[in-house]
Amino acid sequence: MLEISGLRKRFAGSPGTPEGKQALDGIGFTVRPGEMFGFVGANGAGKSTTMRIVMGVLKADAGTVTWRGEPVTYADRQRFGYMPEERGLYQKMRASEQIEYFGRLHGMSPDRAKKATEDLLERLGLTERRNSSVESLSLGNQQRVQLAVALVHDPELLILDEPFSGLDPIAVEALATVLQERCRGGVPVIFSSHQLELVERLCDSVGIVSAGRMVASGPVDELRAAEGGTLRVVVRNPAPGWADGLPGLVSVQGDRHVLVTEDGDDQEILRRAVKAGHVEHFGVEQPTLTEIFKEAVA
Amino acid sequence: MNGMMLVARREIVTQIRTRSFIFSLLITVVIVGALAFAPKLFDGPDAYTLGTVNSQQLPLEAAAPDMEFEWRAYPDEAAATRAVLDGDVDAALVDGSKVLTDGEIDTELGVLLQSTHREVKLGPAGVNIAPLQVESVGADTRYEAARTGIALVLVLVLFMLIIGQVMTVAMGVVEEKGSRIVEILLSSVRPWQLLGGKIIGLGVLGLINLGSILAVGLVASYVSGFAADFPPGMTGIMAGVILWFVLGYAFFATLGAALSALVSRQEEVGNVMSPISMVIMAAYFVAFYAVNDPTGPVATIVSFVPPFSSMVMPVRMAATEVPLWEVAASVGLMVLAVLATLSFGAKVYERAVLRTGARVKLGEVLRAK
Ligand SMILES: Nc1ncnc2c1ncn2[C@@H]1O[C@H](COP(=O)(O)OP(=O)(O)O)[C@@H](O)[C@H]1O
Ligand SMILES: [Mg+2]
Repeated sequence: MLEISGLRKRFAGSPGTPEGKQALDGIGFTVRPGEMFGFVGANGAGKSTTMRIVMGVLKADAGTVTWRGEPVTYADRQRFGYMPEERGLYQKMRASEQIEYFGRLHGMSPDRAKKATEDLLERLGLTERRNSSVESLSLGNQQRVQLAVALVHDPELLILDEPFSGLDPIAVEALATVLQERCRGGVPVIFSSHQLELVERLCDSVGIVSAGRMVASGPVDELRAAEGGTLRVVVRNPAPGWADGLPGLVSVQGDRHVLVTEDGDDQEILRRAVKAGHVEHFGVEQPTLTEIFKEAVA
Repeated sequence: MNGMMLVARREIVTQIRTRSFIFSLLITVVIVGALAFAPKLFDGPDAYTLGTVNSQQLPLEAAAPDMEFEWRAYPDEAAATRAVLDGDVDAALVDGSKVLTDGEIDTELGVLLQSTHREVKLGPAGVNIAPLQVESVGADTRYEAARTGIALVLVLVLFMLIIGQVMTVAMGVVEEKGSRIVEILLSSVRPWQLLGGKIIGLGVLGLINLGSILAVGLVASYVSGFAADFPPGMTGIMAGVILWFVLGYAFFATLGAALSALVSRQEEVGNVMSPISMVIMAAYFVAFYAVNDPTGPVATIVSFVPPFSSMVMPVRMAATEVPLWEVAASVGLMVLAVLATLSFGAKVYERAVLRTGARVKLGEVLRAK
């Protein structure tokens, strides 16, 4: 279990921003074993900074990161897998050699590193390009190699900064499948993304960050429940003024009236609708992650 | 294998595979090989073809055992004249009393012909002239020319190898920093392992280069006969060159890695490295100067001052005989300088290499806790 709490980080001023920047202002969340955690937030919200602190690339001004109950150490991080936001690979090195090299650096034996590399190349559909230099690969394939580098040593925790950005739908699926497998194997996975539908589909939990603060975090279902559903009623040819006094907004689409509301007595609304005309639709809709997100950062 | 050795191995494997490494190695090796033949070319011919008309061949070999002479007999003076004019022979001896040449006679050949002729004429008359004994009362200068030649080649080789490998280290550091590979690398190896591995790997490549150059130079010298002029203690000179390369490279490469860790883009490497390039250039100039004046005060003093000693001392050692204690003292000082640089460089590198973006100021890095 990874627990992050109270992270604060201020960047010193530069010629562009003389007053400096409070990038993190008390970030905290928890990721459990086998949990896929989506980290979302606008550009500049502080996602990358948080991940870099977890990986030890940056030092926090305050706050703690603990892994399995203990402050995270260098030895722990050797068993983490990391994909930085700005991709970094040796351009002239062959794909397979590169993956193997990072496996060896993480302490794998030559045989194990080789085997793990072959497996990953296969899983990620790179077998045919195994001997190509990274610079000759397409962007999508480079990203797959980058992911393989993060995965090769069978990490105990995965931290991936925007792993899906710039990928075509097929590559997204391939990557998602691999991540879900690792996750099912008990490895906590944290990834940041702007593709909220994808996060919603893949993640058990999400953390929403805005301007360096956590505005919401937890299992997606709980966030939905907390947000509450939206009642949507569609009535055909209702009597004029049928919804007077009811909460929510009514929009008119041809001969259909659509009432959308988040509060009010649903039974009372139903009675009024039935009396007014032909009820075509009556239901509570769960908020999407996009809606939760918009609400949270508003 | 630990992290540092893995990093070193990667450097070696990737570089050796590049075309530029193979090419530059081939080119330097060819140049050095050719240089071993150069003394022969500049020495002038040491073989002559001579014609005779109605004359005895002169015993020139006895007077000049290093040279070769070929004799051709011609029936009359007209045939000999034609041979001289056509360049078939360098000169022709007619009737044992006249020499035909095409213009001025080659000085060495002229002197040889005259003195041998005189001896041949005087011999039967019972006059015996003992050859003059030559005795040097000054320093042993027999090998001076060879020493100068060797020193000159060493200056060039050391300069090119040191600056080449140091720049490769610098560009490698910036490649890793600029592309953020360091962010991944440093979660699996320590900064000093990454830095040390890179320096060791590229140093081994430098040694491979240097070793090939020395080996080819030696073999070519034996083939060309230049090796006969080698001063005594050639093995010591070669060993010294390798040691000094290691020390000089370690010093400059560590500093280079530290300074280049301050920037994130390849275009900035030249700029941030310019102080180091300038020091290497300065060392090169003094070393070049020391080739011709290896015992002068400038060369002597500078050959003790790190890091200049790394290029000046090996050149002095090749150009003249340097007492062992001087070499030992100079090596000792340089080793201290290298150790100091390693601790300074590792600190700067560690603090700067993760700070991507704008150029990091050295003062800021040193002040940081
Ligand atoms: N090295 C840095 N120096 C100065 N400011 C930085 C640095 N890195 C990030 N920041 C600032 O910190 C804030 C958070 O950035 P980041 O964590 O990259 O956001 P996100 O990944 O959520 O888009 C941004 O305002 C960014 O400009
Ligand atoms: Mg980011």
